[in-house]
Amino acid sequence: MDSSLHEVWQAAAGSPFVPTVGKSSQFLVAFILLLLGFSLGGAFALNRSVVNLPVLAVPAALALAFGVVYMFCAVGVYV
Amino acid sequence: MKTSAVFSTFLSLLSLGSAASSERKSSSTSTTLPATFKPPQVFKNSNLVHVISVEKNYVKENINVLIENIDKTAQDEYFVPFTADQMSRLGGVEVKDRKDSSAGPFIAEAVEFDQESDIQYLRIRFPKPLAPGASQTLGITYYLLKAYKPLPASIKQEEQQYLFFSFSAYCPSAYTTSKQKTEVKFPTSNIPDYTKLPGSGDVKEFPQKQGSKLTYGPFDEKPAGATQPVSVRFEFNKPVTHVSRLERDIEVSHWGGNVAFEERYTLHHRGANLSALFNRVKWQQAQYYQPNTFALKEMKFPLRVGSADAYYTDVIGNVSTSRFRSNKREALLEIKPRYPVFGGWKYPFTIGWNSDAKNFLRKTATGGFVLNVPFLEGPRQQEGVEYEQVQVRVILPEGAENVKYHTTIPTQSIIEAGVEIHRTYLDTLGRTALVIKARNLLDDFRGRELTVTYDYPLMASLRKPLVIFGSAMAVFVGAWVVGNLELKFATRK
Repeated sequence: MDSSLHEVWQAAAGSPFVPTVGKSSQFLVAFILLLLGFSLGGAFALNRSVVNLPVLAVPAALALAFGVVYMFCAVGVYV
Repeated sequence: MKTSAVFSTFLSLLSLGSAASSERKSSSTSTTLPATFKPPQVFKNSNLVHVISVEKNYVKENINVLIENIDKTAQDEYFVPFTADQMSRLGGVEVKDRKDSSAGPFIAEAVEFDQESDIQYLRIRFPKPLAPGASQTLGITYYLLKAYKPLPASIKQEEQQYLFFSFSAYCPSAYTTSKQKTEVKFPTSNIPDYTKLPGSGDVKEFPQKQGSKLTYGPFDEKPAGATQPVSVRFEFNKPVTHVSRLERDIEVSHWGGNVAFEERYTLHHRGANLSALFNRVKWQQAQYYQPNTFALKEMKFPLRVGSADAYYTDVIGNVSTSRFRSNKREALLEIKPRYPVFGGWKYPFTIGWNSDAKNFLRKTATGGFVLNVPFLEGPRQQEGVEYEQVQVRVILPEGAENVKYHTTIPTQSIIEAGVEIHRTYLDTLGRTALVIKARNLLDDFRGRELTVTYDYPLMASLRKPLVIFGSAMAVFVGAWVVGNLELKFATRK
């Protein structure tokens, strides 16, 4: 045990942890990202080509990735 | 690249594991001495006041003693004897200098010398040695759990409960005591039975009774190890709540900006059993004309301001008899067990709640994070609550490393601490979990702090979206590859 940790806590009083996306906007952000992800994914599914991999699939996968994480949080499973 | 990332994370986990094992060693609260050990007679207790409080459902004892070093050399170790049975139920030992509160920390630890011996010792190490002939006033506070027996052992549900407690009228000490007295404080003045002893001086008979207090003594000089068994039986018409196991989880989420708490209680009532079957009609009637009962019917959990989404469940599922009031000033969770808990009955249940991370988590100047949470929350009951085994698990985000902790709980109560891996939703490697096991704690310690610092690299925080990104890309690329496969028979040109 390190008794200096309490001082670390006191010293950090001015910088509370604030997440990138607040709890109140998690659902909206997650929903938009998932909608975007599925739309782009759907567009890629209709027109599969090497060009569309970076143009549609990569943004779709990114939107899905962050959308899924935020949707987990939005429904109360704080991952 | 992924393989190297996995490998480096595995290495960091290994280092966490080794840190944990070193923690285990350092947090050990006992030392070993030879089996023939006897505390050297280097002190004399000039004056000793032993205050035993049986007001709550655990015993709180306070020994205020003026000690004098009668040896020729400076001494820094004082021993307090306990029976082996008491030692297993002893908790929350704290020692202070009564006259100088700024005197450094007194370290109290159990001494292991002979497992078979009925007398075990607690060793108190002074911050600085006491010079020959010098005196010091020690204030030794400790608690004993599972201290009472109901007498009668079974009563009707509308009857009053009485508890039986035995102790020594002479304070057990490893040194000669010149002058001492023992005060016993009760919850009410209704004390039907107590052992009487022949008095000394002006007093014909001990104890002297003043309201809800009994005083044995003052006694004249007693040798080391002198005991005088006495017992008391007193009214205690309140539940004797005993939590045999409390599992408390604190889960930190950086993505969600949330700290989630969950507490799982295995609660017992150690009071008088019912002598007849439980009668619901009588119980319901008694709620109006005699609401005072020894059954446990309600618990109040004052939570930190800002707590939200409270839940209360048991083995059957959600329990609807609860209220949660959360506003700017307070967050109070009031729960009623599914049934009134009488003596000998058990009620396991779970409560949980969320709070914004900003209330407990801060960023440090060095780029790490510091978490400050109460070690113990639990109910605040008039009759008190005792906890036999407590496991606090701080579940940090996946990939958190360099975990350090500090708690203001008495070190003698902590039996083990280490870092483990906890796996849950969206995890690939599992989350770093700091697990602290403690025993024999009381609700007096609710609100004592637990501070944890850790580092959380950016790549570790991006692990979850990256894993999902990788999976989604695999699906898209897979779809593209499968879509391009030519499965038809080629037509001859």
